[in-house]
Amino acid sequence: MSETDLRAEEFVLGLLDPATEAELTDALEHDRVWAAAVGRARDRLRPLDDTAPDLPGAARLWDGVAARLGPAPARRRWLPLGAATAAGLAVGLFIGGTWFTPDPIVLAVLVDEAGTPTAVVEDFGHADARIRFVRDIQVPQGRQMQVWTLPSAETGPVSLGLLRGAAGTELDAPRLPDPGNGQLYEITLEPAGGSPTGRPTGAILAKGLAARQDGV
Amino acid sequence: MEGGLPVTSAELTDALRGCAGGDRNALRRILNAEGGRMLGIAQRMLHRRDLAEEAVQDAMVRIWQKAHQFHAGDGSAHGWIFAILRNRCRNILRDSARLSTFAPEDLTAMQDARLGAATHAAAGLEEGLALHACLSRLDPAAARAIVLAHVGGFNHDEISDALSVPLGTCKSWIRRGLDTLRRCLS
Repeated sequence: MSETDLRAEEFVLGLLDPATEAELTDALEHDRVWAAAVGRARDRLRPLDDTAPDLPGAARLWDGVAARLGPAPARRRWLPLGAATAAGLAVGLFIGGTWFTPDPIVLAVLVDEAGTPTAVVEDFGHADARIRFVRDIQVPQGRQMQVWTLPSAETGPVSLGLLRGAAGTELDAPRLPDPGNGQLYEITLEPAGGSPTGRPTGAILAKGLAARQDGV
Repeated sequence: MEGGLPVTSAELTDALRGCAGGDRNALRRILNAEGGRMLGIAQRMLHRRDLAEEAVQDAMVRIWQKAHQFHAGDGSAHGWIFAILRNRCRNILRDSARLSTFAPEDLTAMQDARLGAATHAAAGLEEGLALHACLSRLDPAAARAIVLAHVGGFNHDEISDALSVPLGTCKSWIRRGLDTLRRCLS
């Protein structure tokens, strides 16, 4: 690990050449191991930031900042969807329907421990994914459902976002490579606000493997 | 400070979540709470107040754009926002077209101020901190090089100039120093 740690430290110190730095900055979005190493390196050196003086006048900078903000940060969106639908709703309806433009790259049917279909994930790649529940899920007070995918064993599970009830909204997924055949998707029950570790920590509500929809 | 109280790591993490969800007030809370410290960090690296303000504004916009990428498992929220700020500061320092508009004496003053700020920062570390103890165990030149990079935004060339050693020597000092530092802190 120390090679990675050393590279992370040089990255944090701004000592790498610009091309390498740009490449490693992009990698922060999808390589969880790298991102964690950089986080640790930052925190090791952070006491030096804390020695900086606390200067007055920062609040006056707000107007200049606000004028430059876009409408909302780019992020993976859960597209609009209906409320939880009745169990048994045919999955074929989603596949063959005209709902989806463009077509999802992959579709995964997530089943619970007993094999009962629970939700369908359509991942469009880029910033969009959609989840649709095909049976009702009870989420205990103080808990929240979180959706994950496993792009590769090296990357480890990556959060696609938190769900509010069985009607999805929010999210903070990183830009990932296009999803592939057999890629794992799962929903876990996490503390409200999401997994504290950035990895699944709670019970798995449902999981399933993706099938490419474009014959690749 | 004007009204901003430092926020805890959990509060800052919450504010970043708010930003990711499109809440501008969450970003404003970050500026109000951490803006003073951010200005201080930027001023140490850039010397000029106008440049420091520009760097903080740039950083706030980047924080807004990238908040969805912050994962609570990847180090502290403070470390994350300060890293974005230092990155913006270094971009300003590396903008040669821009620096060429500076009078030579201004550039000299800036370099002197950056060197001085790094010295101050190292001396300002609280004695009880592990980083203080571990930096003082390093070869002094290696410790100085690491602090120059982090606090002053110095690159390898500038550090080798400041320490009057060849570039290769400077790079290997820093690597060895970072290895020793990490082992000491773990």
